[in-house]
Amino acid sequence: MSRYLLWSIAAVALGIAFLVLEPFFVSPAPRSGGPASLVGEAAPVFPLRDDRGFAVSLDGYHGRIVVMNLWASWCPPCRAEMPDLQRLAQAHERDGIAIVGVNEGESPQRAAAFADSLGISFPIWIDSAQRYGRTYAALGLPTTVILNRRGVIVRAFDGALTFVQMESAVRPLVLMH
Amino acid sequence: MNLFCTAALTVAAAVVVEIALAGQPVYHAGWYNVVLVALVVVAIVAARRQFFRASCVRARFAIVAIAAGAAIAGLAGAASGLFAPDSQTFVGAPGQRISVEELGVLAFPLASTDAPASGSVTLERALHAPMELRQRRSDAGNFILRTIPRSVVYVEARDLRGSRLTITQPAGSAFLSPVLLMEHRQTIAGVDLPYDSFNVPAARRIVKAVMFTPGQAAMLLHGASKIAEAAVLFAVDDENERPLSNAIALSAGGRAVRVGGLSLRATVESYPAVEVVAAPNTLATALGTALVLGGIVGLILLGG
Repeated sequence: MSRYLLWSIAAVALGIAFLVLEPFFVSPAPRSGGPASLVGEAAPVFPLRDDRGFAVSLDGYHGRIVVMNLWASWCPPCRAEMPDLQRLAQAHERDGIAIVGVNEGESPQRAAAFADSLGISFPIWIDSAQRYGRTYAALGLPTTVILNRRGVIVRAFDGALTFVQMESAVRPLVLMH
Repeated sequence: MNLFCTAALTVAAAVVVEIALAGQPVYHAGWYNVVLVALVVVAIVAARRQFFRASCVRARFAIVAIAAGAAIAGLAGAASGLFAPDSQTFVGAPGQRISVEELGVLAFPLASTDAPASGSVTLERALHAPMELRQRRSDAGNFILRTIPRSVVYVEARDLRGSRLTITQPAGSAFLSPVLLMEHRQTIAGVDLPYDSFNVPAARRIVKAVMFTPGQAAMLLHGASKIAEAAVLFAVDDENERPLSNAIALSAGGRAVRVGGLSLRATVESYPAVEVVAAPNTLATALGTALVLGGIVGLILLGG
């Protein structure tokens, strides 16, 4: 048997052994989630209502950078973060950035009263079935997810952000346009 | 059929059975894998003898094919038996995506009390089209996946004025999910029952939910003999451990109950979990089996 044939057989045997054995060196175990694990994926679009009862969805925001902030009225860090979100909305009014507050699981009246008490002018959506909270793998509230103009998740944050942190997250997207 | 062909065919058949009836504990037993490897060794040693006795080149090719096929199938079977992890069941919340190393992402379908789970769990893998998993088996390389229906509980919480409240599960698989996966077990009066817990932060309440089948509810709960649907017992505690009156109530048939200063509604629905079972690599097994069968057919045609 020639040396070439022997080497070929050895290579095929090694290839088959690798194919068969390789997957078992790492057992199937779940990786940790969190909103940041969804970066690069398209944001899901759910039909929701806003705090005034109008039908809303991400379909109406094509071509815009969207900052989705998941919040609830009982959450103190959400309350602390809201004025900075309002400031961000005002600072980027002309840049095509949309700020959307997504209330998780509460009634429209409660959400509207909370937003009014803080002078919030950006849209407040009511996610009564907590679908965005589940699909964004929120680890807590608030959770902030930033979508690019194609509706793809580009940044995701667990916990309250300051205005400076929000600004540094959205500025590169604004400059890219 | 001589010893050589019998040994090779037995190896291939054993590994095919490992795929067809995946998940049996015997495949991980030491004796089983020793027998499998011994059969491969017998096939290769016998092949060597046959090889030198063979009358023509074609017969030698057929013998090499049978021996190689037995070795490939045997390697796939023994590797799975010795190195593969035990079967695992992944329980995900509706809308949750679970990344599983070496397998891909399991995307669980969305569901709510208004629209119970539609669609199936999807396996997303690099360089593959998404695979919809059903109750029947789906092959994914070295793993076989199938969905198992489980009972889960959809809960809705309101204050006593009817305003909806957020539900959180700080210890659950999804923090912001109103779907209880009921993964824990508790024995009450000798009956093993699934339970889960959730928080209603706006009302500072911690709620434990224990699920009963209609029969269990009738047997265990006083005055519950007329229950025809699955029922959920809510036990409400205050976050600050202040005593609550009327803190235990039973919700059956999706009806709301007032308990611990809340209005709670539970709906029991079926929702899929995914069982992942290791199996010999399908590609290697198919190749090995084809070589064994092809070689044997070749030998028969050559009159050997």
